[in-house]
Amino acid sequence: MATTVLPNARPPFYRDSKVIAIILQIIFAAAVLLLGWSLYSNMISELSKINNTSGSPLSWNFLGQTAGFAISEGPIFRPEESYFRAFLIGLANTIRVSVVGIILATLLGVLVGVARVSNNWLLDKLAQTYIEIFRSTPLLVQLLFWYFGVVAALPNIDQATELSNLGFLSNRGIFLTWPYLSQTGAPWLWWLLSGLVAGVVTAWLRRRALERSGRVGGGFLLGLIVFIAVAAAGFVFVTNAALLPETVAYDLRRGDRGTLYIDANDNQRYDAGVDETLAYVPITLLDGDGQPLGEEYTDGNGDFRFFDLPAGESLSWRTPSPVVVSEPMRQGFNFRGGLSLTPEFAALLLGLVIYTASYIAEIVRAGINAVPHGQWEASRALGLPTGSILRMIVLPQALRVIIPPLTSQYLNLIKNSSLAIAIGYPDLFYVARIIVNQSGAEVQMILVVMATYLSISLMVSALMNWYNRRVAIVER
Amino acid sequence: MTTELQSGTWVNSKPPAPAQKPPRSEVGVLGWLRANLFSSVANSILSLLTLLFVYYVVSGLAGWLLTAYWEPVWANRKIFAVGPYPIDQVWQPAVVLLVVSLLFGVSAGRWGSIMRNLAIGLGALLGVLALVPLGMQAQLLMAGALALIVVGYLAGLKMPLRSSWLVWAWVLSLPFTFIMLKGGVEMPAIGLVWSFAPFVDSALFGGLMVTMLLAVVGIAMSFPLGVLLALGRRSSLPVIKGFCVGYIELIRGVPLITLLFMGATMLPLFLPDNWGNPSALIRVMVAITLFSAAYLAENVRGGLQAIPKGQYEAADAVGLSGFDKLRFIILPQALTKVIPAIVGQFIGLFKDTSLASLVGLLELVGIGKAVIQQPEWLGTPGGVAREVYLFIAVVFFIFSFGMSTASRQLEKQLNVDKR
Repeated sequence: MATTVLPNARPPFYRDSKVIAIILQIIFAAAVLLLGWSLYSNMISELSKINNTSGSPLSWNFLGQTAGFAISEGPIFRPEESYFRAFLIGLANTIRVSVVGIILATLLGVLVGVARVSNNWLLDKLAQTYIEIFRSTPLLVQLLFWYFGVVAALPNIDQATELSNLGFLSNRGIFLTWPYLSQTGAPWLWWLLSGLVAGVVTAWLRRRALERSGRVGGGFLLGLIVFIAVAAAGFVFVTNAALLPETVAYDLRRGDRGTLYIDANDNQRYDAGVDETLAYVPITLLDGDGQPLGEEYTDGNGDFRFFDLPAGESLSWRTPSPVVVSEPMRQGFNFRGGLSLTPEFAALLLGLVIYTASYIAEIVRAGINAVPHGQWEASRALGLPTGSILRMIVLPQALRVIIPPLTSQYLNLIKNSSLAIAIGYPDLFYVARIIVNQSGAEVQMILVVMATYLSISLMVSALMNWYNRRVAIVER
Repeated sequence: MTTELQSGTWVNSKPPAPAQKPPRSEVGVLGWLRANLFSSVANSILSLLTLLFVYYVVSGLAGWLLTAYWEPVWANRKIFAVGPYPIDQVWQPAVVLLVVSLLFGVSAGRWGSIMRNLAIGLGALLGVLALVPLGMQAQLLMAGALALIVVGYLAGLKMPLRSSWLVWAWVLSLPFTFIMLKGGVEMPAIGLVWSFAPFVDSALFGGLMVTMLLAVVGIAMSFPLGVLLALGRRSSLPVIKGFCVGYIELIRGVPLITLLFMGATMLPLFLPDNWGNPSALIRVMVAITLFSAAYLAENVRGGLQAIPKGQYEAADAVGLSGFDKLRFIILPQALTKVIPAIVGQFIGLFKDTSLASLVGLLELVGIGKAVIQQPEWLGTPGGVAREVYLFIAVVFFIFSFGMSTASRQLEKQLNVDKR
């Protein structure tokens, strides 16, 4: 019997694939490092040529310097605060427009996506036309059109278009009737929370009972009923029982405007930081004889303003209900109360929502179409009602297809919000550009902006991946 | 009456009933309306509401379109096409258009598939433009380009042209375009200066020409980079894989606009002194290429993942080297599979080039901004922004929608082949 004896020795190192792989990687890493180092050293030498001020060209000290510019919207910002705080305000504005945008785009997108699979021909074609138009044009052009073509072309503020009771449209902003939690709203929030807990517990118990008896259903409806009942009871209770404290007082400034507050230190004077202002409280202006002259609500800061408030008149106030529907009211060349959106925010939100929704609609359509028709037929054969089929058979399967692309659309919306710079909404990118123009810290700010967007992206992906795992098929 | 069964057969003695026509409510216009719009009460209400909405939108839009002031768009049609390019040298971009049309025609004849769809779309657009009274020369140019598509198509069908030559022609068309637009070659760094016409500064390139140029350069230049990144991401070598994953995820995690600003302001910092200062157009192209490569890599990776493992093993079994395996077996299959995805990415990039206006490039949107600020229209009540931006949106729509339709038809054809 002839046997071939294989040599047991390893091949020479230059033919050993493991060694070659390691050498290749070392060469690659060295090349990348060399390239990076040469770019970096070029940059440093160029930078030190441009600003031959003291210190290293990549100093981070500028973040603490005084900003010196104002930011037109978002959390209150004073020009004497630092660049770093200005950047945080920009970040807050990005988050604000992104969160609202994602919610609205999802709603509109699902609506259009469902219209796309409806058996109504006209609705289907309408949805398709919408999707094709807005997917095939650049978002930037849409934004510029909405801002310069539509919002800027609205009437002046003194001739603002009134949308019945919903609000006003003008080229200085959009003013909407909006519900706010008032002073007594805080106790009601506790009612809402306990209602939520009770509802969830009830739904869970009901579901378990149903599962044991082998019947169909999830207990969601019962939970909802319990929640609504608790919330309503709380509303009635809070409205009747809660009272404003005895120490409520008001300050008048410049004759006709003032602040309503709880006088914590009992000195009959409003001290910012010590006394708590009262937002959304109905107040009545009384003349010398105690006859009412006018009524309005204080705004979100507890401020109010009556025009031509003569001397010798007084104010009275009532305890507000937990939720106050605040209507915008014309006062001089502006509106008070309600929710006011700047033209920039309105145009950016409109553009982002309409554009992203056209993509979400296609995702929803694909998701619903991805569930085989046999699933519907099989469920009907089992005798399930349509609602249950949707909730328990079709949607769980469609969601699995929908969630991953939906995540990337959410990320796109967040990244696209940086186009705010084209219309002047002070988002994180726009504020960063102002900081660069003033401080010259080009490289540092680019790094900060990129790191911020990356972190937001990673967080949203992590959140959506967690949700995706929850709805994914559990393979046993 | 009883029927006798004889030897297990039974014959129905009655003649078959004549076929009845379907009821009138089930066929024709009425039947269609019933089935698609008024199948139930809820559906009918929905239809009427939708109709009301459509009427409201269309009548409002039509009312505005008829009264809109289109003079700013019409008067600036040359600017929208090529930007502030010197008027007596416009023949240079015209030659590029003719050459590209010929290439499209030949490719359509030789390759068919998506190229044919695209060539038909381009031809239709040129035909329409040839009929619009743009001006004698422009119309002749459009007609000429259309004729070249047809001639090229016939040539591509009849002539035994090698596919690789055509690929090379496309590859060379890019430097050719640059030389034509520039009026020569201007690279003093390597001592190469040659011109056939006065040099045109790239700051004078503009309009739809630059929009197209950015999108094409973005896809073409990012192609090799993207394929390398995709291969690197699937590599078994951890250092290379880590680098590629890091690059792709970093680029995909930040908005394009940050890269554009980085290119516009930081690229000169990165380059050595003796390289000079790249023009704004080049900076934007670099940024778009780096951006696009990350997305292209992900598309190509999708194609690579779709290749069955057996293909790799079979290639190994016949003794192909690693490079040959990629070149002859894996990449041809993977890249064919991702053509629709790459067309989709091209459309996205085409739309994204509008962001270049934010760093001061005079592409379509940049031209639009300039046109709105022309002193002639300043007195117009309500401004001319609506008309100008709507026009730009329509231009983008025509190209994006045309390309996506061509791509969708290709997907349909591919699916048909599979069955």
